[in-house]
Amino acid sequence: MNTSLRLPSLLVCHLSTSPAQVEGDGEPDDLYRSIVLEMKGHDPTVMASYQKYLCMTCEELGIHVERVWELPKCIERRSLLKSVHIYKKHFRQYESRTHFRNIELKRLTGSTADTFLEYIERNLPEGMALKVTKHRIEPLPPHIRPAPKQVEDDSTITQ
Amino acid sequence: MSRLLSMLQTPVGHAEASWALLLRRGIYTSPVAQKNIRAGQIKSSINANLPLTYEQAQKPHKIGVTKAWNSWNTSNLTGETKDSAATTLEDLFIRQFMKGTWHNYLASEVIIKRRLNVVIVSFIAERQLNARNFYFLVGYTEEMLSTILKRPIKVELQTVRRKRDMTFKLI
Repeated sequence: MNTSLRLPSLLVCHLSTSPAQVEGDGEPDDLYRSIVLEMKGHDPTVMASYQKYLCMTCEELGIHVERVWELPKCIERRSLLKSVHIYKKHFRQYESRTHFRNIELKRLTGSTADTFLEYIERNLPEGMALKVTKHRIEPLPPHIRPAPKQVEDDSTITQ
Repeated sequence: MSRLLSMLQTPVGHAEASWALLLRRGIYTSPVAQKNIRAGQIKSSINANLPLTYEQAQKPHKIGVTKAWNSWNTSNLTGETKDSAATTLEDLFIRQFMKGTWHNYLASEVIIKRRLNVVIVSFIAERQLNARNFYFLVGYTEEMLSTILKRPIKVELQTVRRKRDMTFKLI
């Protein structure tokens, strides 16, 4: 039976110029240099539709889509005997195809990323797997920080 | 023939380009596509009165083209096959359960979709019973399957007046 693709309702975000008043801990928001979404699925049409939905969501929310790329599909084949008993010369081949699609997003804040990912994951179609890799920007740890620059004071030089 | 050969050898001008293209397009090679179109063929009856639903009319070589799957889950993707067997067995159980509970009323295959933890069971039923009895059966299915499989089960039911309405083709 052909499944009917139910396109989820689009989240309409009202973007305002003034900074949003968010109730938080008072701690600065996480910053993500990039977020990579890796998708796997059996049906390329469903995957194409989901990709379109992702790009539309990013456009609505003002998220920068760096690139969208496809890896070659993977076909796993198995040969099994056609008959229940004897007839070793006659086999049947079964295959399972996996299609891949990756999307890279750049320069997101923590709150945007959380909202976006929750929306994306709730609307993930059945039969599709999604892997999210987040690259967070962290300050350098103290033992690696460069030494503070020594200011050259001309008055101290005695020669 | 010699004129044609000489045309091939000499550099072609604009006027002769189309001729050369026609000659150079003599051989076209492509991989041979051999799909097993004899699998799953149902023998036609004498009076052409064997009804087939749309699903039954699409043969195995049309899977992924005009025929979709009955089970939608991620357990068979490359690298995600850890719970493939458990998922398949669950599907078999669900189908057997549906066959028993809705025996006369099932007018289509049972479609099982898995989204995160939720299992969605959808099918088409024949409107033999009144609505109240249908609601009972739906509730019974959801409750029993949720208890047995330990996960939320949702039933998406569509009805049809008679099973004859599902006929797509007569063989």
